Amino acid sequence: MASSIFRTNYLPLQQYQDGYNPIYRKFRSNGVAVAQLETGNANNERNTMAKRGQQATQIKRLLNFSGKEPSTPLLDTINHPIDTKNLSIQELGKLADELREEVVYTVSNTGGHLSASLGVAELTVALHHVFDTPKDKIIWDVGHQSYPHKILTGRRSRMHSIRQTCGLAGFPKREESIHDAFGTGHSSTSISAGLGMAVGRDLLGKNNNVIAVIGDGAMTAGMAYEALNNAGYLDTNLIIILNDNKQVSLPTATIDGPAPPVGALSKALKKLQSSREFHQLREAAKGITKQIGGQTHEIAAKFDSHMRGVVGGSGASLFEELGLYYIGPVDGHNVEDLVYVLNEVRSMPAPGPVLIHVITEKGKGYAPAEIAPDKMHGVVKFDPKSGKQMKNKSATRSYTQYFAESLIAEADEDDKIVGIHAAMSGGTGLNLFQKRFPDRCFDVGIAEQHAVTFAAGLASKGLKPFCAIYSSFLQRGFDQVAHDVDLQKLPVRFAIDRAGLVGADGPTHCGSFDTTFLACLPNMVVMAPSNETELMHMVATAAAIDDRPSCFRYPRGNGIGSILPPNNKGTPLQIGKGRVLREGSGRVAILGYGTIVQSCMKAAEQLQMLGISTTVADARFCKPIDGDLLRQLAREHEILITAEEGSIGGFSTHVSHFLCLNGLLDGKLKWRPMVLPDRYIDHGSQSDQIEEAGLRSKHIAATVLSLLGQTRGGM
Amino acid sequence: MRCSYGLTAIPGTDARFFSPETSFLQLRRTFQPTRIKFGSFKIKAKIDEARKEMSFYELLGISERGTSLEIKQAYKQLARKYHPDVSPPDRVEEYTERFIRVQEAYETLSDPRRRALYDKDLALGIHLAFSARRRYQYDEDLEDRSEWKNRWQSQLSELKRRSRNRDAGGNMSWGARMRRQREELSKEL
Repeated sequence: MASSIFRTNYLPLQQYQDGYNPIYRKFRSNGVAVAQLETGNANNERNTMAKRGQQATQIKRLLNFSGKEPSTPLLDTINHPIDTKNLSIQELGKLADELREEVVYTVSNTGGHLSASLGVAELTVALHHVFDTPKDKIIWDVGHQSYPHKILTGRRSRMHSIRQTCGLAGFPKREESIHDAFGTGHSSTSISAGLGMAVGRDLLGKNNNVIAVIGDGAMTAGMAYEALNNAGYLDTNLIIILNDNKQVSLPTATIDGPAPPVGALSKALKKLQSSREFHQLREAAKGITKQIGGQTHEIAAKFDSHMRGVVGGSGASLFEELGLYYIGPVDGHNVEDLVYVLNEVRSMPAPGPVLIHVITEKGKGYAPAEIAPDKMHGVVKFDPKSGKQMKNKSATRSYTQYFAESLIAEADEDDKIVGIHAAMSGGTGLNLFQKRFPDRCFDVGIAEQHAVTFAAGLASKGLKPFCAIYSSFLQRGFDQVAHDVDLQKLPVRFAIDRAGLVGADGPTHCGSFDTTFLACLPNMVVMAPSNETELMHMVATAAAIDDRPSCFRYPRGNGIGSILPPNNKGTPLQIGKGRVLREGSGRVAILGYGTIVQSCMKAAEQLQMLGISTTVADARFCKPIDGDLLRQLAREHEILITAEEGSIGGFSTHVSHFLCLNGLLDGKLKWRPMVLPDRYIDHGSQSDQIEEAGLRSKHIAATVLSLLGQTRGGM
Repeated sequence: MRCSYGLTAIPGTDARFFSPETSFLQLRRTFQPTRIKFGSFKIKAKIDEARKEMSFYELLGISERGTSLEIKQAYKQLARKYHPDVSPPDRVEEYTERFIRVQEAYETLSDPRRRALYDKDLALGIHLAFSARRRYQYDEDLEDRSEWKNRWQSQLSELKRRSRNRDAGGNMSWGARMRRQREELSKEL
């Protein structure tokens, strides 16, 4: 068989826009994984294709993804981005490939975000070659594609520590390096920040460049347009690079494959890329009018301008309407083109706001990423040769999965239940819901504000929307929750995933504030399960609450192994009622809210070993708070500890409020809250973070002991 | 059989949407030998094509710059001429083969995209049937990219032109004002 092996970096793979997965076979050759496209056509056609592929590529390179440290002669010479200026275009291309090898090697050992960085290797190299950080400011939207940037800006030696405790952050961080112009993590902020920096530069009379790199996925958020509009109006010099890899809607994947692009925006961008159709149509139209004659000329002219608006120019004219100059599409994997365009724009005295539309492929250059349905966007440790991730086998599954299953169980019986998420299909577990009820699951793109009000609209028509949004992402939609949902008392249910500390993603994704900002709303029912069974019951409870909004929060992580209700169908809990888990005979009570209850139980056991009998209760509801339980605990005990994995202003504050107003703090009771400290906890493992926050079972026990007037070494 | 492209009706046959397969089904009733050869026909046709090296344009009898209307007219004429049902009985095979090729030629040339690719191939001296679709997709990507380059080059020159006059006195945008101020400051220094 004529085995034509394609060079991985230049394999022209199809995009999965219709969910179609071609058949692939992976070959291993000298430790390099390649993918061969099996089209079923005759062999000679494939050979022709290979030959054409080789003709088309200027530089052929086999990349080393063997798992051993890659040899990177060019990259070794770069200690500061200014060193890239000495390289020729050829060398820059090679540097981009070396960066790819380095990224794959690093991320295979640490886990993290992979394919985003692979897609922008050439772009990063070109940007640093043309511009001068830190004087020039490059802002990476979201920031998960900034690994090559970090490598080039003097952090290569620390890349092995990325996303780990005391290591490099997984996103740009101003405190980490002067080359990180702005901290990102939530999407669609780069243009706004860039505009601010550009205006600041103008006011201070400086003349550096400001470049914002934003992806097509992030362009679904309204904030990006707010910024574009303002940029167009202000007319200041600003370069916006739209990194388009046709991945509108974060491809955390449905069960069956990649999530196809969301919305009309992707169509518009797609049209921008294929001006060919537009030109062809024009030619055809011209041909016809030539035949038919003069009178149709007017019609043809209108046709021309209409088609320009509809076909080739629709996206371009959108940006131009906003006052930005559109350049593109530019091949994002061709360093020569990128450097040329960037240099040209840089050399102009007054370009104003310019948008450069760059086309890239996510995961480019690493075959397992290119062909994976989710493009290996976020990965744990994996084997670089095959791309296989080493996921830990755990006895229990994640809270996300339990949530999705119980929602499906509810939706089975109630066809008014619909699911809404903001481009986090896999992350929220609604991909399972989508598979089951494809017409009842809505992905709105990265647009939390819209998601909330959209849900409000649904609720006003009598449907039962479940909005599954991460705690830190819901922050963006707070006004919508307050004004559109709570004020009108619309029964929208919020399933708040990633509540509390989240581990490697760090403070940008930390869900510390949701209890605080939701429990202060007058009409909201706020609850938190202590384990997966409770979670399922709370899903049922939320489904049953039809006269007001409700929410429940659960953390990142796996369940504890509690017994699930049959068929994952929960039973609604009594609203505003907590439960006592462990009846103690002493003076101490610990009241937990959320999964921290498990740590409270452990603390009780530790105290038991010291002869202290402790009552442990699970509050279940922050709002309406279980007043009877609080009174009982306050009257029957002398020490009350409340614990939650949230910031000040949340559950413990509501407890204190209740106790005060009911005179329960006027007596012998000693009450202490245990909340997240009033500072941002750096990224690291979740375990390290909890330790840093002081919310482990040993810390809870130590607090009790300190109140009892005793200290114990080794606690 | 009535072909949907407006051939004269042959009495006693049903109107049917034409396709190469159905024409052979019709043939099968009248000419047994052709049924066995059905499979080889297509391959043979391709090989013959390649060997004869008659381009689609020559096949249709039009110039390479023919408009889509000319292509359509030529196709209609030839389809009428070579249709199996109206071809002389002793030359059915040959005519049918021709018919298929004419059909292919029309399908390629009437689609502007495919035509462009075909023209490119012709220039390179390669002539293949349109069934090599995957190749065309790949070539399309290459085509796209070179078109992109032309496009952004012209965009860049336009931007340069605009940028020279951008901060003229009349432009009162915030950015223009700031740039003018800075210019004046640097002139003073």
